[in-house]
Amino acid sequence: MNMDVAIRVTEILLALAFLQQSVEHLVAAKYERTLFALRIVLSLLLLFGIATQWVSLLLVVLGLFVLRRFQGPYNGGSDRMSLLILCCLCGVLFAPTDQWREYIFGYLALQLVLSYFISGWVKITNSEWRNGRALQDVFRFSAYPVSEALRGWARYPRLLCFMSWMVMMFEILFPVSLLTQSSLIAALVIAAIFHFGNACLFGLNRFFWVWLAAYPSILWLQDRIFGM
Amino acid sequence: MLQTLKLLLPALIPSWRFFDTIAPSPRIEFRLLENENQKADIWQEFRPRPANLSILTMLKRMFWNPYWNESLFLVSCAERIINNQSEQSRRHSSQEIFSRIQCELERERTDVTTTPYLQFRLVFVLRNDTQIEQHITYISALHNLGVEAS
Repeated sequence: MNMDVAIRVTEILLALAFLQQSVEHLVAAKYERTLFALRIVLSLLLLFGIATQWVSLLLVVLGLFVLRRFQGPYNGGSDRMSLLILCCLCGVLFAPTDQWREYIFGYLALQLVLSYFISGWVKITNSEWRNGRALQDVFRFSAYPVSEALRGWARYPRLLCFMSWMVMMFEILFPVSLLTQSSLIAALVIAAIFHFGNACLFGLNRFFWVWLAAYPSILWLQDRIFGM
Repeated sequence: MLQTLKLLLPALIPSWRFFDTIAPSPRIEFRLLENENQKADIWQEFRPRPANLSILTMLKRMFWNPYWNESLFLVSCAERIINNQSEQSRRHSSQEIFSRIQCELERERTDVTTTPYLQFRLVFVLRNDTQIEQHITYISALHNLGVEAS
């Protein structure tokens, strides 16, 4: 994937992710509604490719107001990833040279790889994850399962131990998928299915949409490093 | 401004330590009281999860999931109240919890004219060896809904 295409696809996917997030805030109190109504307008401009350079800058400024409003991210990791993609996109669009564009977009791709690798590393070094106890705890008492029925999964420790190892191995081995384009695409499809599963089981729908928006950067980086 | 940049920094240099440990998990419970001196032990869980969720509802929630995401934000607020050293952050989190319980009461058209005093508490659930334990770690001050309405 060449850089211009990757940047444009990132703009579109990020705009769609922002629209999905922002619409959810329209049921909130007035000031919050105003902030996110503004973000809807800016996201539509980004989606249709209108003045994307300045729109991305305004979205960053608005993002700072949102951070202040909630004294941090509203939805933890997904908001952080949204801001990271947005800041990198803004940096790429304002970068003075092609080399700087590559550094900034490459940084986003690197962070995407780290988002999987570090998540896997911190789990595999924890004995409770290795014996499946941690995932059992997630189902048994954490705030995430979307229904009481899902808590029943905690009664299947062998299944959860297997699932834990599948997740850890996938996350740890994700960087290896960069070696070829087809292995990377396969890894990204598995990753998207993983986020989809998390969205269904734990209600983490925002993660699904926003992580997709970072995928063009890694497809570009893989092509840039190994496709020559 | 400096404070806002401090909030931005973890997004630019993220730690990505998702679920590294399964920390004690907060539940928000609230009660409505008739007056400041009432001692009724009538706590109810704020927005309890449903017994079951159909696959269709899960798929719909891929696109529209505002109340669940709000509940996850309130989990963060509860954790900030317990973990954060800053008084400003604790006050902000407490106000967020109060205002969102109040909005929920309004949405459900709960009549609070005879019970205008709202209070919430944080119950942390954790595993101690094989047993699940619950600890009440915070009880808020009373919040007079009648004063705000008038």
